[in-house]
Amino acid sequence: MRGYVLKKVGWSIGTLLFVVVFNFFLFRLLPGDPIGLYTRGRNMSPEQLIRLRQQLNRPMGEQFVEYLSNPFASAINSTRFNRPVWEIIGERVWPTVLLVGTAVLVAALAGVWLGIRSGWRRGSRFDRITTGTTNTLYAMPEFWVGMMLIMWLPFFPSGGINSVGVSGFLATSVDTLWHMVLPVTALAIVYLAEYTSIMRASLVDELRQDYLTLARAKGLREDLVRRRHAVPNALLPTMTLIFLNLGFVIGGAITVEYVFSWPGLGLLTAEALRGPDIPLLQAVFLLFSLGVIVFTLLADLLYAVLDPRVSTR
Amino acid sequence: MHHFVIKALTFALAGGLLSTPLSPTPAAPKVTFTIGIQSDVDSTNPFTGIVVEAYETYALMYDYLTTSSAKDVSPQPSLAESYSEAPDKKSWTYKIRSGVKWSDGQPLTARDAAYTFNRIIDGDFEQTNYGNYVVNIDKAEATDDTTLVLHVKKPTPIMERLAVPILPEHVWKDVDGDAVKSYANEPQNGQPVVGSGPFQLVERRKGQYLRFAANKNYWRGAPKFDELVFRVFTNADAEAQALVRGEIDFAYDLQSNVFNSLKDKPGVTTRSSEYSGFNEIAFNTGAALADGTPIGDGHEALKNKQVRLAISHAIDRRTLVDRVLNGHGSPGDTFIPPVYPLLHYTPPVPQNFDLAKANQLLDAAGYPKKADGTRFALRLYARQESQDSQSTAEFVKSWLKEIGIDVTVKVMSEDTLTEVIGQGDYDMFEWGWVVEPDPDYQMSVFTCGKRSYKDGDAIYADLSDSFYCNPAYDELYEQQAGETDQAKRAELAKRMQQLVYDDAAYAITYYYNDLVAYRSDRWTGFTPQPDPDGSLLFQYGVHSYLTMAPVTATEKPQAASSSGVNGGLIGGIVAGVVVLAGAVFLVTRRRSSVSADDRE
Repeated sequence: MRGYVLKKVGWSIGTLLFVVVFNFFLFRLLPGDPIGLYTRGRNMSPEQLIRLRQQLNRPMGEQFVEYLSNPFASAINSTRFNRPVWEIIGERVWPTVLLVGTAVLVAALAGVWLGIRSGWRRGSRFDRITTGTTNTLYAMPEFWVGMMLIMWLPFFPSGGINSVGVSGFLATSVDTLWHMVLPVTALAIVYLAEYTSIMRASLVDELRQDYLTLARAKGLREDLVRRRHAVPNALLPTMTLIFLNLGFVIGGAITVEYVFSWPGLGLLTAEALRGPDIPLLQAVFLLFSLGVIVFTLLADLLYAVLDPRVSTR
Repeated sequence: MHHFVIKALTFALAGGLLSTPLSPTPAAPKVTFTIGIQSDVDSTNPFTGIVVEAYETYALMYDYLTTSSAKDVSPQPSLAESYSEAPDKKSWTYKIRSGVKWSDGQPLTARDAAYTFNRIIDGDFEQTNYGNYVVNIDKAEATDDTTLVLHVKKPTPIMERLAVPILPEHVWKDVDGDAVKSYANEPQNGQPVVGSGPFQLVERRKGQYLRFAANKNYWRGAPKFDELVFRVFTNADAEAQALVRGEIDFAYDLQSNVFNSLKDKPGVTTRSSEYSGFNEIAFNTGAALADGTPIGDGHEALKNKQVRLAISHAIDRRTLVDRVLNGHGSPGDTFIPPVYPLLHYTPPVPQNFDLAKANQLLDAAGYPKKADGTRFALRLYARQESQDSQSTAEFVKSWLKEIGIDVTVKVMSEDTLTEVIGQGDYDMFEWGWVVEPDPDYQMSVFTCGKRSYKDGDAIYADLSDSFYCNPAYDELYEQQAGETDQAKRAELAKRMQQLVYDDAAYAITYYYNDLVAYRSDRWTGFTPQPDPDGSLLFQYGVHSYLTMAPVTATEKPQAASSSGVNGGLIGGIVAGVVVLAGAVFLVTRRRSSVSADDRE
């Protein structure tokens, strides 16, 4: 078991190192004049321009060493906001985690529940309706669903996290919940189909297994056969999916954040791309990669605990 | 687990219910004007921000020595109640208004103004946004509390247009040259940002909104409402919905499709205002470095002025305005838009749409039509970011085909295009400029010295994007740069526009309008700049913010929308109840099935 853990952690660190290095060179291969981008529209004197440019003309090796010394504490300012990139990202992480995290949880709980019901009674009317509906929803673009929700449900706010002038912790929390309804709904109904179909498919796989016949032979009710025997075994692929999606939580939902003016990381990425704000993009990319790597590692480790068939030697 | 969830929900719900009666109901509700903006203010620190929305906040929070009149955008006194150039032309004296106070009660004096200018002059980072204003200023000096003297290196007309916000010395002296780079200049511990303008920033939530409180003691008179909110929308359609529903009062910077969708909505007025921007087809008139060394791969034919004129005659500007801008603009001619009536030059002989004349010009220039009907081929670059740019390019392509020029349109990002232009690797492209009230910057674009330059082996773009270079023009430019008589300078500016027009460095296609929509059922009294067809907000100055007022109760139709706060609270509670009911239902069901399990 320890060997298994070490191996997985080792692989993750390797991937991370690769991402860090790749991230440095990728952005230095981009065409364009970063100083030109930074100074566009500013009333800056020519001498200042030259000084700025000299800082960027240092040898690549020197810049790389400096970058490697601590890629996460990068002192580089965002060109758009003129503040340290990690400070800006710090402000934007929580709105995204709140929005996408809630949506993934809602979608996973509802999806698993729907998947179990429809898989257990495969071909039933419930199954056909659920599968049809979730697939239709899955086919809809998130931003379109979002726009439709804004137009159909005018009682809910059209965007943002808070109303202007709401103060006090409780009032603010309730107000935020209120603002979350539409974006979470938009994300969750699109995510729903993934969980439903995976859960359904893996449950259907278990249906004809001998151990279920045995459980029934012991005299267990159908409910218990399903809950104690079939579902735990069928849950594994869904767990993987949930963890992979949690890794992407940090990446946000660019389109939904854009539609609902939700000031999270997805929106930040979209803003950074206009410009482009290279230092900020670099940090955001690093963070997204990190999110996926960490959660994939967690899924791997959890798998070993949940499924005895996974070799841990 | 379940119990924990229930507990948390109950707690949140109870909190929500309790907080309603506890929150105090204000006696007279504040009158708030909410503007929807599509780009968040990047920074409220005037040394840092760059987007137009940020500059608007500086104009609201601070005062400037001078402003631009609402009538015709000409310079007029503001914080300086009068100003004059010394007879020896070596300094300018500004008489600072007395009795003006900062929002924390301290008096605003000439010393604050001197501090602000010296800080920029001596500063490093401070030069980023204002360097060009102080290039000619040696030092600033407050001879007494109401007199500011700016010593200049040479006479310059910019002294009437110093768009530098005057900052409170007692606040900013604690922010040193290093700290200023990341200084947020946002409210702290509930204290608003210290300023002297008509509004004070009292709350900021990044990416969401900025809230300002009216300065009831403003020296130009108190604003006629209590609070001003800038609310960020990243989605123009959602912004339009918010306007229709009454969540916001003013939607700024609309695209024409969204603008049109708002036309017939009750209570909403749409307005297409004259604006200070133009678009053009720019020509590679012979790319070279500032020292004259040729660069790039521009087509030989475009070095010939007659060819450029022919192309200009082949552009149907009226059609572009009607079809590309949906009528929200006017056909273009010279590079200072008519929104500046004192500076704009209207050419006596316009380059009208005339294909026959264009063909003649090309024949005479020595580019006869070949057997297949073509003369030569050119590249035309359009911008990915702008649908209008791409449509214009397709129109131009079709017209140039008529005169035997085979055009290949290529669409690229603005960043790539900037690079390509700087290297001189183009024939024609479509882009535009926004012209400030002081035309110096725009005029400098066409000087020889603003062509690309070399640093080491790399070529960098400067301002010039047509590589126009005409000694007569440069001479006029130098002359106007030292001309402090506004009327004489305007004359020079007109002659410069004429030169560029006659030499066809650009074929200016149109002046586009600024599209906004607002709740005319609630608000009235805006001051357009310039009068009468100019912008209502986001002006040079804060004119409208001081004159606009809520429509009075008698003429007001019944307001349909409830306040957002109460709606939010009620909605939150309803949502909470639903979730709670669901949870209770699930748990009770689970309990019953658990007991069934136990029986088994």
